[in-house]
Amino acid sequence: MFITTAPAYGLDVIANDSVNVHSLNVAQLRRIYSMRQTLWSKNHPIIVYVLPSKHPIHKKFSKQMLHIFPYQLDRIWNKLTFSGLGVAPRVVNSQAELINIVNTTVGAIGYIDALDKDTDVNVIKIIE
Amino acid sequence: MLLKLSSNSFRKIIKPLSICFASMFFSTSLIANESANDSKLQIHGFIAQGVIDVKGSDYVNDDEKPSFELTEIGINASYQLSSDVRLAGQAVYLNGGNRYADGVRIDYLLIDWSLFQSEHWKTNVYLGRFKNYHWLYSSTRDVPMTRPSIILPQSVYFDGTRDLSVGGDGIALASKYFDENIGELDFNLSSGRSPISDEQTRIMMGEQASGDLNFDEDLQASVYWRPHYSSWRFGVALTDADFSYDNKNTDQIFDGKLALERWYANAEYQGENWTFSAELLQEKMSVSGLFFPSFQRSTTGQGGFAQAQYQFSTELQFLMRYERYYANKDDKNGKKLEQMSFGLVPHYFGYQNNVTLGINYNISANLQFQLEHHWIKGTARLTPVITPDARVNENEYWQMSAAQLVYWF
Repeated sequence: MFITTAPAYGLDVIANDSVNVHSLNVAQLRRIYSMRQTLWSKNHPIIVYVLPSKHPIHKKFSKQMLHIFPYQLDRIWNKLTFSGLGVAPRVVNSQAELINIVNTTVGAIGYIDALDKDTDVNVIKIIE
Repeated sequence: MLLKLSSNSFRKIIKPLSICFASMFFSTSLIANESANDSKLQIHGFIAQGVIDVKGSDYVNDDEKPSFELTEIGINASYQLSSDVRLAGQAVYLNGGNRYADGVRIDYLLIDWSLFQSEHWKTNVYLGRFKNYHWLYSSTRDVPMTRPSIILPQSVYFDGTRDLSVGGDGIALASKYFDENIGELDFNLSSGRSPISDEQTRIMMGEQASGDLNFDEDLQASVYWRPHYSSWRFGVALTDADFSYDNKNTDQIFDGKLALERWYANAEYQGENWTFSAELLQEKMSVSGLFFPSFQRSTTGQGGFAQAQYQFSTELQFLMRYERYYANKDDKNGKKLEQMSFGLVPHYFGYQNNVTLGINYNISANLQFQLEHHWIKGTARLTPVITPDARVNENEYWQMSAAQLVYWF
């Protein structure tokens, strides 16, 4: 079986150390971010973090990695939040804040700009 | 049969559920140290105030002056009890003038039980008061920033039957499927009845109605499909609801029954700058009694809209919509309606067509200004529903402008 790595997005998907998953394909990532998959495995909820909708890294992540427009994600999340159907991702304002919260929250997932190799994060490999 | 559980038992659930939820909400907010690390509790809300001016009908008010009866406020909380169970609730205050009963209400209050999750499936059961999850905008019809326009297309989102189709107390099932060949499939099934206020009864039956309208049966189902990575999504839905009317001594309306069976189909395209949406409706309304004890009537109405939204910039979006509705598909020009009522109900109560133009302007990430104008021909979607009021609504052509400012968090 061939596993091709995704083109260089200039982005990294990161997760808390507690997450026992080391690679995800784009379809899985899309399901996680559209809140259609909410567990890593039984009793291990996924806690999804995002940057604000207008943040350049969020726009890049949404369009290039998930192949979905930021406004579509906003619509999905607003519908979940205001209809009782589910919960939306948690929004943090900066990349530094995102790294910190993903590192300290069990089950957390997030994304950051091309990895600064000094940063201590758990990177999830994304395969097409 | 789970779906056959009586609605009384669900009403009994709502009250303890609200107490339990309120206490949990209160204690958690005291204990939570405001750290974003507390990922179990989420609180969101919205507040919107607008001004609406209707010329030529009593859709919003009777004096046809600009009105501030366009207020929508809501606050909700969601608390994850365990990895399988979540509590969620939303309270809203709504004022839409004549459109629907104003006041504070529990919009939803439910236990969300994550029944099953696998690589392909995710199934949740919702118990309590839930929303109508079946049409394009039904689950958030009162939440301004989630709607394409301030006033939704009345062919489908008829304000006159709002409280009968907004949701219910009962049980709902939502199952999501995914694979890379088929794409995403969503199945929704629900059964729940809502209490009917006196005002909703009058909106349905007319001012002279002093009896009680009861919600007897309800079943709703829908299926949505998005092909893998597609910009398109397609849906079909069915709702079936039965009501009975208990006459009071002072009443001019007799005991009777009312059945509403509605079929929907919708399609939506979401591109980078353009969104196209269309939703079609066929509704069969069967009335027995009400006007006189042996009265029987069954009519099938048809309607729907096609809408385009253009994202001009990140801040500015334009809306164009065309909508048609016929109260009786076999009497599209309303001539039979006029004849059968001996001229009391003019032919233009047989249809309602609407052309809408609007703009949405995002002032900031959580503040939006909406402005729109509607050109309307016909009065089939004005209230009262069962007994049209031709003395008040004497214009075939009427117009409406609305502006609204909404903030949410």
